[in-house]
Amino acid sequence: MKSLPTAMLNRLSVLWTVTALVISMLPQLASMPFHLVPITLLPIVWRLMAEFRQWKPIPMILRVLATALAVGALVTTYGGLMGRRAAVSMLVLMLSLKLLETFRIRDARIVVSLSLFLCATQFLFSQGIPMIIYIIACLLSSLISFMYLQRCEAFSVLDEEPESDRKLLTELGFGASLMALALPIGITLFLLFPRWGSPLWGLPEDALDARSGLSDSMTPGSIQNLFMDDSPAFRAKFEGGVPRNSDLYWRGPVFWNFDGSTWEVSYLSRNLLADNKPDPEKAPFRYDVQMEPTEQRWLFALDYPALTPRRTKMTVDYQLIASRPVTRLLSYTMASDPGFQDSPVLRQTLLRAALALPEGFNPRTAAMMADWRKEAGSDSEIIRRALQHFNQQQFHYTLNPPLLSQHTVDEFLFDTKEGFCEHYASAFTVMMRMAGIPARVVTGYQGGFYNPIGSYLLVRQSDAHAWSEVWVRGSGWTRIDPTAAVAPERVQQGAVDSLEQRRYLLDFEWLRNARNTFDLFQRGWNNWVITFGADRQSRLFSIFGWEYLGPAKLVIAMIAILLITGAVIFLVAPMLLKFRSSRKPDPLLRLWGKFIKKLEKAGFVSHPSMGAMELAANAGGQLKYESDAIFRIAELYTLCRYSRDMGNEAELTELINCFEIRSAPGS
Amino acid sequence: MVTVATPPAPRSFVSSISDRIKQRVHKKRGPMTPPFELAYRQIFVLPTKFGWGFGFMLIFMALGGLNFNNNMALILVFLLATIAQLTTLIAYRNLSGLKVDSIHAEPVFCGEYAHFRVFASNGNERQRFAIQAGFRQAQDCKNFKLNSYDSFLLQRPTYKRGWLEMPSFRLETRFPLGLFKAWSWIFPQTRCLVYPAPARKAPPLPKTGHGHSGPARRGDGDEVHGLRKYQPGDSRQRVAWRASARHDELYSMEMETPREDACELDWDLLRGSEVEKRLSILTAWVIAADHKQLSYSLILPDSAIPVGKGDSHRSRCLEALALYLL
Repeated sequence: MKSLPTAMLNRLSVLWTVTALVISMLPQLASMPFHLVPITLLPIVWRLMAEFRQWKPIPMILRVLATALAVGALVTTYGGLMGRRAAVSMLVLMLSLKLLETFRIRDARIVVSLSLFLCATQFLFSQGIPMIIYIIACLLSSLISFMYLQRCEAFSVLDEEPESDRKLLTELGFGASLMALALPIGITLFLLFPRWGSPLWGLPEDALDARSGLSDSMTPGSIQNLFMDDSPAFRAKFEGGVPRNSDLYWRGPVFWNFDGSTWEVSYLSRNLLADNKPDPEKAPFRYDVQMEPTEQRWLFALDYPALTPRRTKMTVDYQLIASRPVTRLLSYTMASDPGFQDSPVLRQTLLRAALALPEGFNPRTAAMMADWRKEAGSDSEIIRRALQHFNQQQFHYTLNPPLLSQHTVDEFLFDTKEGFCEHYASAFTVMMRMAGIPARVVTGYQGGFYNPIGSYLLVRQSDAHAWSEVWVRGSGWTRIDPTAAVAPERVQQGAVDSLEQRRYLLDFEWLRNARNTFDLFQRGWNNWVITFGADRQSRLFSIFGWEYLGPAKLVIAMIAILLITGAVIFLVAPMLLKFRSSRKPDPLLRLWGKFIKKLEKAGFVSHPSMGAMELAANAGGQLKYESDAIFRIAELYTLCRYSRDMGNEAELTELINCFEIRSAPGS
Repeated sequence: MVTVATPPAPRSFVSSISDRIKQRVHKKRGPMTPPFELAYRQIFVLPTKFGWGFGFMLIFMALGGLNFNNNMALILVFLLATIAQLTTLIAYRNLSGLKVDSIHAEPVFCGEYAHFRVFASNGNERQRFAIQAGFRQAQDCKNFKLNSYDSFLLQRPTYKRGWLEMPSFRLETRFPLGLFKAWSWIFPQTRCLVYPAPARKAPPLPKTGHGHSGPARRGDGDEVHGLRKYQPGDSRQRVAWRASARHDELYSMEMETPREDACELDWDLLRGSEVEKRLSILTAWVIAADHKQLSYSLILPDSAIPVGKGDSHRSRCLEALALYLL
């Protein structure tokens, strides 16, 4: 049967269509360039005004013009339509412009369906816990608008929809119960639907939102900025106990090249692979890391990593570098051996790189180191002296160091004497190189917050740290943390606690603790929702003893479980979806029905048009031996029905329950 | 009344499926006599056009979600797919158990729309929403509260006199989201009597009675015939109070209808015209005579209806005209 999807919208459907669209737009509106927001909202406002003021649709030419203008604004803002943000902004803008011509049910359905699509695209940018609220709001509003649209379509054959007792609350409840019923099957599908091990087509790597984290260069101040950022960098769950804080040096980018102000990774160290790795069997620390996306290629591990996760290489300076930037939550298993001896023998090329310094920088430091070299007997003596220098002179570990100009190390060592970990690491490494000791800067994270409930270690961006490594003949690269010489509590207690001042206004300890507790949920969410993929799926089945299920078996299991959940839902659904009945079933009618059933069993054919007495007359004629009882019951029923005081319901119940049709004597 | 012939609608793939279903159902079930309930085997569920489109969008979203391993997008897709699937159940339940009590059609003149009224009632199991009825196109839509009844009005243009069999029609619902439609075919046995269309320029009524006028009818009418003794049941207005006061006894007036010229509507008066034309002139005469409250008789070659008047007489005459030679 044909329906009328071209019928005009009524007011409620318009309002709900707009609501569903606006709700699904909200996250994108918040992250759009500011001047695009009014452009996006304008058509929506126009559509609402058109509804209340009965405006006519605007002509086609104007609509095309508006679209062209909007696309122009978008292209000039993003410099093209490539990239996820630009593409999704385009979708949002087009959907909003679509409202200009949304006067019929079909168009409204397209708008609402595409706003669900828009909702899905938002998860490319964030899959955090708050998005649960977003997904619920989107689902609920679009379900409700679908319901209104459906009824608008159905009743378009009449002049107006009849009053029904479906109020907004009914619709909300109905939508919510639909969602509640869908949840078990949805979860089953989610857990069992076969996943692809590798994507068919890749994500565009450009145009991701900039994320904070360690980068591939270090200038004074770069880590200091991270220090304000409490967002998680990664989480690690250890098999066995968590190592001591002083062992928690998470190795990230290693810098060899210094140009006087900036440290950079060296081409050599990035491309040479480690030829000697710690033995994973003997590594004392084993842990699983769940790493937040960084848009960079470094993976973090404790010194010294023994395993190389998939699609990752281990370089000669023990950085773990992935083949692609980490654009989504990444899980890997790692083992580390802190006692590993790193390069007892150093190649010539690396040795040269570890001693290189730019010409004409930091003359005062150079002079001091030349003196020390003369006075010292060995490399280790110079190292010790440098650390003592940091410890005994009035050096301060501070978040707001003064700005440095050209000779950064000179100014830091002799004038300002205030700095953050990167200043100390940088200065120390330059000092070592000037004294002829091979040295390099390592950045990464130090410490972490141990969450006792989830028993895992949470490492935040604010735990970012920089330290030095020096190469000592015979024992290889050795970690030296000059910050520890100045502020030992940085290493013992963690970055935030080692500062005396608050970082910002709302930086209270209880707030930090609350956030740490909340992180537990975030970790579970990450584990079970965001990183759930082919491998975790197979791990889930290994609980039941099935090691690996191919897609075929997975589909069979899925269908089986779906059938079971489906059956359960089929039983539960009527209870949940029952619209509140305004009248209880009439007990008298039920009793009467029972009586009729008994008569019908004896071969009597009743007809719904028969009244009680007529039925009794017919039945009495047919079942002669029971006619007295039949008449009595019918009379009593009539009394009960029409004069409540005179009829005795209990008696009627008794009579009907005892009523039995005896076979006629002689037959 | 001007009638417009409806051109055959282009058949889509889906509606050809539903046509095939319809034929199979018809073969299996044959005509249905109300009252009956819509039950499990009579209700079919298929996606609507919007449902197909929505499904394709979901597949597209699922591919994207799988490719990027974007699990929240997948959750959204799976939830939507499950909800869509659930609505098949809801649509089915919305229709199942609805009771069709009776189907009626009043006679109409050819060229008017035949109105079929489908009376349906709802028990106390659940409320029903947005149930549509129609032949090809939805023509009526109703909500049903608990323990309520209502009727659907279905229209059909008429093109010729005689019996118009009510075509099969559908009771359908797309509740709640419009993604799926659940429908039930109904093959009614109801027919609508179509009278010939009255001729527009009919000749004046023939005044020539053939002496079929009998004695004046007693008992009812406008003129007083005489008095008789009051009998229980006589109208109070007919009591002759003055006469009764004189005789200490109640008298009531006996009324009569004055003898009129009965007109005779004879087929043979219209010699020279073709059959349908004659029938439509006779129809116009019957209407005119009835309008003027004349007594009339109808004489057709195969039947004759004696003199009479009133609604039932009119119906009898019109029926004879409608079914002449059919």
